[in-house]
Amino acid sequence: MGGLDGLLQGFQVAFSIEGILFVFIGVFIGTFIGMMPGLGPISAIAIMIPITYGMEPTTALVMMAGVYYGAVFGGSTASILLNAPGISGTVATAFDGYPMAQRGEAGKALAIAAVSSFVGGTISVVLLMLFAPALAQVAVTFGPPEYFALMFMGLTAISSLSEGSTIKALISATLGFVFVTVGIDGQTGTPRFTFNNPNLLEGIDFLVIALGLFALAEVCFLIVNRKDTSLSDKANVGSTKLSKADLKEMSGPMSRQSFLGFVLGVLPGAGATIASFIGYITEKKIAKKPEEFGKGSIKGLSAPETANNAATSGAFVPLLSLGIPGSGTTAVMLGAFLVLGIQPGPLLVQDHPDIFWGIIASMYVGNIILLVLNLPLIPYISKLLKIPRPLLISLVIIFSLIGVYSVSFNIFHLYVLLFFGVIGYLMRLTSFPAAPFILAFILGGMMEQSLRQALTASNGSYMVFITEPISLALLLISVLSFAVPVIRGRLRTRQ
Amino acid sequence: MKNLSMTGLFILLLIMTACNDQTAGSVNGEWEPKGPIEIVAPAGAGGGWDTTARSVAQVMEEENIVEEDLGIVNKPGGGGAVGWAYVDRKQNNPHHMFIGSPPLVFIPLNGQSQIGYEDFTPLANMIADYAAFAVADDAKWDDLNELFEDMKENPQDITVVGTSSPGSMDHMQFVKIAKAAGVDITKIKYVSSQDGGAMTQILNGNADVFSTGVAETIEQVRAGKIKVLGITAEERLEGETLSQFETAKEQGIDATFVNWRGFFGPAGMDEGQIKYYEEAFKEVSDSEAFKEIREKYGWQEMYMTSEEYKDYLDEQNAELGELLEEMGLTE
Repeated sequence: MGGLDGLLQGFQVAFSIEGILFVFIGVFIGTFIGMMPGLGPISAIAIMIPITYGMEPTTALVMMAGVYYGAVFGGSTASILLNAPGISGTVATAFDGYPMAQRGEAGKALAIAAVSSFVGGTISVVLLMLFAPALAQVAVTFGPPEYFALMFMGLTAISSLSEGSTIKALISATLGFVFVTVGIDGQTGTPRFTFNNPNLLEGIDFLVIALGLFALAEVCFLIVNRKDTSLSDKANVGSTKLSKADLKEMSGPMSRQSFLGFVLGVLPGAGATIASFIGYITEKKIAKKPEEFGKGSIKGLSAPETANNAATSGAFVPLLSLGIPGSGTTAVMLGAFLVLGIQPGPLLVQDHPDIFWGIIASMYVGNIILLVLNLPLIPYISKLLKIPRPLLISLVIIFSLIGVYSVSFNIFHLYVLLFFGVIGYLMRLTSFPAAPFILAFILGGMMEQSLRQALTASNGSYMVFITEPISLALLLISVLSFAVPVIRGRLRTRQ
Repeated sequence: MKNLSMTGLFILLLIMTACNDQTAGSVNGEWEPKGPIEIVAPAGAGGGWDTTARSVAQVMEEENIVEEDLGIVNKPGGGGAVGWAYVDRKQNNPHHMFIGSPPLVFIPLNGQSQIGYEDFTPLANMIADYAAFAVADDAKWDDLNELFEDMKENPQDITVVGTSSPGSMDHMQFVKIAKAAGVDITKIKYVSSQDGGAMTQILNGNADVFSTGVAETIEQVRAGKIKVLGITAEERLEGETLSQFETAKEQGIDATFVNWRGFFGPAGMDEGQIKYYEEAFKEVSDSEAFKEIREKYGWQEMYMTSEEYKDYLDEQNAELGELLEEMGLTE
């Protein structure tokens, strides 16, 4: 197969005037929509699909891909400045990004996010270019037992996400599991906890929970404490310059998470969210000062931002080379392909090498444009924080409502959003951490379905989780990550 | 800028008020739409419902069959139930409709929706699509009979995977054919896998048989990753890859399954309104443009008038209801 020829053809597409123009349009719109609190790549792609009608497929898809990773690139902004993640992939960004902005270093936080995104995006495109067809095999090696084990490993992160009381973190995670069971059960088709309300059949969207527990809870907190002067002086944006020491600190997470994020992105169903969480957790585990995480750590911000952008490129592997969408966003992206009459799949690289390689090559251009576009804009974007507090709070509320509505087109879910805003505020008052809740909610659904799929196929035998090597390895890592600190602690007390 | 958007909002409100007079019925049995028509696809963009609705609307607009604007609205959720509930609330407004297919019969039968096809006005059926049963290319079965013989002996060893939940289309289309082949249908192992997971499970061997639509298999068959053991059409389909697929009937299994797709309006539409839409859909169905679309997606022509459609649905309901009851999946 003329891989090199194909790639050259791809660069021809990407570096044509038309190619650059449409990549620019795509990433510009994507990053702009992504910056809006509550709006993420799903909304961005859905908005753009009708515009592509009648366009030349290669140009249209290069643009749509730009919208996708542009939105992920821009998605960190709302997380960092407003604690209002627009997609699940940027929830972990808020853990350290928001505290950093609150400390008066919004400019620096945005610069770290932009550079990390750029590095993650670019390294992963190299990986995508070199290994896309080969990695298609990796994407399908994961069956239900492996997914269960992966989600299980993700859950061990709860221990690292808990600040203070472990019991409270576990209760919070249990709540996440409870709420993810709402809706039609995939394996039996039985509606669970829907109380005969058709609006609940599809379950609760992740975005509703994230915006409720993070953005609206924060808004409640700010409103209640509006007279507290110590909170009102957050307009300080700080410098956007990254020092050499900063860059050095970022280099570790960036280099590791570009690879890890990409690999997790390749797995259908895992994607940017799990990549960002696992990226955050692994960096916290190996960090010399893990106690800084959650309080505005540079590593803690750089890791999820690198990972989620790397995972976004990774998600193109199953989409382009198998025609399998791995997430809600890539499913909409697949829709965009089909609307243009292009069927992604194993034959795409042969039938339409210009599209296959054009998209990949254009991602280099796109990532450079994103960096050049975003860095100079940071001082202006972070001025957002200078908007008078009452106005800013109202804007966050409005955008949260718009974000939820643009995903569900259903008023009912707005009430659910407000419900979780109240829950989030109450959790904050009683110092229950929200992160374990959201992690359990993200992982729980897939974990349960994988467990039951695996057990149905194995006729109820739990041995499948041990006889499958990948599954066994992942479960062992999870057990070790729990056991090692405990054993170490015991040994220390004995001495 | 602010003024501009306020003006825009005001105009929008005006339009919305003007549109409120859409409920007027037919005069002398004649009726024409008095505003934009909204077609609900009760699933996300890019799926079967969405593609059918968009291509029909496209032909209607391009060939000037319908003068008013047509808008496709995606209302995913509950396997269609959320979209149906939405159109059900639009009674007395014939400017709303949705695209339906067998889940409209299945989902009420297995109790996941209170609303079913009887709560709507069938306008016209447009196309037929068929199910395909695919296995990995290196699987030991080469046709449906081999698979079913194996299933009769070792039902616990064979896992069927599909996208829809148990008791809905992907599951029941397989059950229907398997029953005709003499398989004990209560022993069929079915897992449901969303988000593209179903095809993955066939490719990595976690599941054995993929029950899906014909179109979904073409790309992987051409790439030599999977093979189609049989399809549920009455006769062989046309098309480069499609014509290679043997029907269940050709293999001596006397059963078919049709994934019909057509349009439904809210309850209580009068004769003039039904007639208007029947004729519009007929014109689409007969057009050269729609013929090309059918060929592109591997759909078959299956036009039915409102009356024919209703009778057909009653038959389907009775037949599928029996099947679900035997499986113990009815409410």
